[in-house]
Amino acid sequence: MAAMNDASAPVLTARGVRLGFADDVVLDDIDLDVAPREFVAMVGASGVGKSTLLRAFAGLLTPLRGDVHLSTADAPASRTWSMVFQAPRLFPWRRVRANVELGLEGLGLSRDERRARALEPLSLVGLEELAERWPRTLSGGQQQRVGIARALAVKPRILFMDEPFSALDALTRQRLQGELTELRQRSDAAIVFVTHDIEEAVLLADRVVVLAQPGNGKPAGVRDIVAIDLALAQRREQSGFRDHVQRLERHIGVATTPEEKTS
Amino acid sequence: MTRHARHRRTLVSAVSLTALVALWEIALRMGWLPSNLVPLPSSIPGILWAEVQDGIWLDVVLSSLSHYSIGLVIGSVLGIAVGMAAALLPWFDAAHSWLARLLRPIPPLAWIPFAIIWFGVTETAAAFIISIGVFWINYFTSYSAVRAIDDGYYEVARAFGQGGFTARLTKISLPAAAPGILGGLRAGLGQGWMTVVAAELFGIPGIGQRMMEASGLLATDVVVVYMLTIAALYALFDFLFMRIQRRVLRWQQ
Repeated sequence: MAAMNDASAPVLTARGVRLGFADDVVLDDIDLDVAPREFVAMVGASGVGKSTLLRAFAGLLTPLRGDVHLSTADAPASRTWSMVFQAPRLFPWRRVRANVELGLEGLGLSRDERRARALEPLSLVGLEELAERWPRTLSGGQQQRVGIARALAVKPRILFMDEPFSALDALTRQRLQGELTELRQRSDAAIVFVTHDIEEAVLLADRVVVLAQPGNGKPAGVRDIVAIDLALAQRREQSGFRDHVQRLERHIGVATTPEEKTS
Repeated sequence: MTRHARHRRTLVSAVSLTALVALWEIALRMGWLPSNLVPLPSSIPGILWAEVQDGIWLDVVLSSLSHYSIGLVIGSVLGIAVGMAAALLPWFDAAHSWLARLLRPIPPLAWIPFAIIWFGVTETAAAFIISIGVFWINYFTSYSAVRAIDDGYYEVARAFGQGGFTARLTKISLPAAAPGILGGLRAGLGQGWMTVVAAELFGIPGIGQRMMEASGLLATDVVVVYMLTIAALYALFDFLFMRIQRRVLRWQQ
C-alpha cells in the first residue's frame, strides 16, 4: 500500500473484513490501512457497499468476519472518530451551536469550554455568525457545513464522510469540496471519504480505493488502490487529473463519452 | 392566512354566535320554544352572579379543578412514561401489549363501579376516573411519536458518543417526540374536562354534582351557567397550554 509514513502507525487497520448477512455477503476480504492525516476516498458503483464498509470501520456495524482496529484518541477531550453523513441530520430541536456541541458532551468539559470548542469549527466552516440559529433556517449547504463542524469539534483522529456532498447542488458541492481541501490543512484528522463521484475522489484524496464486484457473482472487494500523486492546489487543472479519472472509471466500468474525455 | 383574512374570520364567527344567541332569546320570548326546556340567555349573567355571591360557584369550581388537576397530572405522567417505555423497550412492549389492547376500549366511565368500590365516593375516585381517559390519550400519542423518530438521529447519537440509553432518551427520544407528546397532553386537557363532570355525577362535590342538583330542580339556567364555566375553564387551560407548547416547540416554527 502506497503513501504511508513508516514512522507513524496507521490510524485505521482493516484485515479480511467481510460484510453482509450470513447468506448474502456483500463485501469480502477488505484489507486497508489509513495513515495519520491521510485522505482516502472509497469509490464504487451504487449498492456495492461503500457506506456499509464505512460504518463497519466506525464500529456502527459488526463485520461477519475480519477485524477493524482504530488507534484510540490520545488528545484530551477528543474522540477517536466522528462522522459526516450524507444528509446533515442536524437535530432540529437544537440550535446550530448546540448541534456542534453534541459530541463534546460527556467529555468532561464545562459548559463554557464546550461553547468555545463548538465555535472553533463553526468559524472554520464560516458559520460562526449563525451559531444561535435553528437548523431549519439554514440552506442545505450551510446545514452540511454544520455537520462538518460537528464532526471536527471532537478533534477526531479519523473523520468518516459518507457521500457528504451528494445531496447538494453542483455549485455548493464545488464550493464545499474547495473548503474541505482547505480544512484538511488545518485538521490533524485522517479522512475516509465515500463517494460515487470519481472526479470528486481524485480531486480530494491522497489515495482512492476502488470497490467493485469481480463479475462472477462473488462479493465485491477492493479492485484497486490508486495513489493520487498530484499537488492539492488546482488539482483539476493538472494534466494527470484526467488520467486518474479515466483509469478509475475503467475499473468501475463507467463508460465515458468522447466529449467528456477531451474536456 | 393573511391578517385581513384572519380578522374577517373572527368577525364572521362573532356575528354568527351573537345571532344564534339572539335567535334563542327571541324564540323563547315569542313562545316558539317552551321556557321550561331552555333558559333565557339574558338570565344567565344574573344567575352566574347569584352563584358567585353565594360562594357556590367558587367552591364547586375549585373542587372540580382539584380532581381535574390530580387526574390530569397522574394520567399524563403515567401515559407518557408507559407509552415511551413501550416504544423504546421491545420486551416491555411485548409484555404489556395484550393487556393494553384489552383495557384500551373500556371507557373511563365504565370504571366508576370499581372507583367507588376501591376509593368510595371520594375525590380520589373522581381523580382516578379522570386519569384513565387522560392516560390512554397520552399513552398512544407518546408511543406513536417515539416510534416515528427517524433512526438516523440515533445513528448520529452513536457516532458522537451518545449511544447510551439515558443519552438517547434525553437527547433524542424526548425532544424529537415532543411535538407528538405535547399534542397528546393538549388532547388530554380536553378529555379531562369531559370526564370530570361525568365522574362527579355520582355525588362527588364539584361542577358535575351541582349540575345534577340543578337539573333535578329543572333549573336549566344554573345548568347552562356551569356548562359555560366548563367551556371558559377549558378555553383558559387550552390557551395557556398553547403558549407553553409554542415556546417549547419554537424550533419548529
